[in-house]
Amino acid sequence: MEFDFSPVITYFPTLIKGIGATLLIGLVVAIMSIIGGQIVAVISLYTRKVVNWPLRFFIWLFMTTPLLLQLYFLYFGLGQWILIPAIVVGVLGLGFHYMAYNADIFIATIKSVSSGQYEASRSLGFGHYATIFYIIIPQAFYRAIPQLGNNMIIMVKDISVLSAIGIAELVYLSQYAISVTFRPFEFYITIAVVYYLINVLMEAGQSWVERRAAIRK
Amino acid sequence: MTQTAETPMVELKGVKKRFGNLEVLKGIDLKVDRGKIISIIGPSGSGKSTLLRSVNNLEVIDEGTIMLDGVQVNRPDLKGLAFERHINHIRQNMGMVFQHFNLFPHLSTLENVTLAPRKLKGVDARSARELGMELLHRVGLADKASAYPSSLSGGQKQRVAIARALAMRPKVMLFDEATSALDPELVEEVNQVMKSLAEEHMTMLIVTHEMAFARDVSDWAMFMDGGVVVEENTPERLFTNPDQERTCHFLRKHLASQA
Amino acid sequence: MDINLMIEIAPLLVKAAWVTVDISARALFFGFFIASALVALRTSRFLPVRWSARAYISVVRGTPYFVQLLLVFYGGPAIGLRLDPFTCGVVVGAFNIGAYMSEAMRGAIESVESGQSEASRSLGFGRFATLQYIVLPQAAGLMIRSVGVLAIILVKNSSLVSIISVVELTYQAQRLTGSTYKPLEVFSLSALMYIVIIYAVMGIVELLYRRATRYTYL
Repeated sequence: MEFDFSPVITYFPTLIKGIGATLLIGLVVAIMSIIGGQIVAVISLYTRKVVNWPLRFFIWLFMTTPLLLQLYFLYFGLGQWILIPAIVVGVLGLGFHYMAYNADIFIATIKSVSSGQYEASRSLGFGHYATIFYIIIPQAFYRAIPQLGNNMIIMVKDISVLSAIGIAELVYLSQYAISVTFRPFEFYITIAVVYYLINVLMEAGQSWVERRAAIRK
Repeated sequence: MTQTAETPMVELKGVKKRFGNLEVLKGIDLKVDRGKIISIIGPSGSGKSTLLRSVNNLEVIDEGTIMLDGVQVNRPDLKGLAFERHINHIRQNMGMVFQHFNLFPHLSTLENVTLAPRKLKGVDARSARELGMELLHRVGLADKASAYPSSLSGGQKQRVAIARALAMRPKVMLFDEATSALDPELVEEVNQVMKSLAEEHMTMLIVTHEMAFARDVSDWAMFMDGGVVVEENTPERLFTNPDQERTCHFLRKHLASQA
Repeated sequence: MDINLMIEIAPLLVKAAWVTVDISARALFFGFFIASALVALRTSRFLPVRWSARAYISVVRGTPYFVQLLLVFYGGPAIGLRLDPFTCGVVVGAFNIGAYMSEAMRGAIESVESGQSEASRSLGFGRFATLQYIVLPQAAGLMIRSVGVLAIILVKNSSLVSIISVVELTYQAQRLTGSTYKPLEVFSLSALMYIVIIYAVMGIVELLYRRATRYTYL
């Protein structure tokens, strides 16, 4: 048994491209799922049943089925009726998946802001909606930060799954390199190391954000 | 060392303990003869609880020796499993009662009392049950044998905790502020149990805030502050006519806060 | 919706769902032993042992399960590790969930207040007996709940073994979509099966939880 990491070096530019794609997808999905999750949470808490029941059903559905099944449905399923590029399917699929998870957190943290806060705000003369937007939601957001961070760390690892529907991120581009060089072990180890480093950085970032947010809690 | 009637039940010599840079016990000497009761009083942070916990090695001391009935408790020469075996054996001879009871919530009252004799001494289930019922009867809780700790009042919990400690037939009982966490109206029932132990000449080392009780039951009283024994004497003397200004000050403040 | 088609493909999907259950249950079973070993190793007297256990947990949690699966399945032969797809799914699943589970178990053990151990030690119980008689029975409730959450993650993760062509639920769903051109029917039915499995897990967890915490309302 001998290892040869020189193909990894040869394909270094490809890997860098893959890392770039992975990080870019991560950023887009993070923004989409956090903002979207917030909106979904607010709508599902403060609207009529006609609106919020379907929304809650989708949150539940996204949380009780595997990501890959959802991606396959969007890619192979919807693909039969409308033609959507894989990258759009991937970003939307991952985005919706984590939007559901984030909405679930926001719903819990919004509910956890005490009714005393609501009453205090109303007694100052804020209206119902003004209270929700200026008092309740900002507090709920700060409370949600630790769990949001966890979700985003998990999400970045799930970007690797997008290779299954042919999105050219780190794993997919490496698989191309593997098919040419026949060095799966070396490439997958390299991918694992890259992911581990991203993970370490994200955890460091998370604790930095949490320390800063703790002041506002 | 051989045991004779004169061997003290508990003897501490030059006990020192540090937490980091903070020296909480600065060389304590203490002797409890068999059948005697010693109370330790002092402000919080004086080191009195640490001292009591050191006696059965819940706190590991840095210097000095602790003897139980002629056998050394702290054994810096023993490491790892050898020390583990040694201390487990020693602890079976000491009953400890905690401020917050620490009853086992997943076991019934009777099981709390019988667990240690059954598992550690190999007492069979029937004898253990008899022993447990006898002890529960003694602390006035025989009717609560099948109840779980969550359904008991604080005073009842502490009485069960005393029964649990007694079940190992200890040579000495250590009380770490046994009534401090109780509502005032529940203190007396626990004090009664402790008094009945005193009448049977159980050797006891009591850390307490209850001055009146300490004065009532003790043979000897010690006042600790800042990690040293400031003064020790008969309870009559210590509580009514202390020699040291610090003792006087503490007692006055304490009386004022209780009034 | 084509109900006839759904009835027709249901047996195939049920069979595939059983593979999903099988692979997840086995991974959970072995994962439990791996987790227990990791918890024990983390309390070892020897620093290198403690450190290795921590490093293992950190690496497993810090890399994607999917990449671990591909590494072992495609990269394994390079180091003499040849596993059939199903076994590979079980092994990687077990080693992956074991790392997470060890953290959950440690958390549950640490949630039992220190006074409980102190009381037990003061009676003369040793470290192991204290764990056995006092700490674990009290940690069991929380442990069961957290392991339940992980079991659900395990079921959802098991869909990824379709990539190494284990014919489980997701694999079958994809294949049936290709042959029937009825994605909505196929995927609704597959989703339903995942939901049934997950709710079954939740039900079992709740039962075990109530048994383990019975003492709190006796």
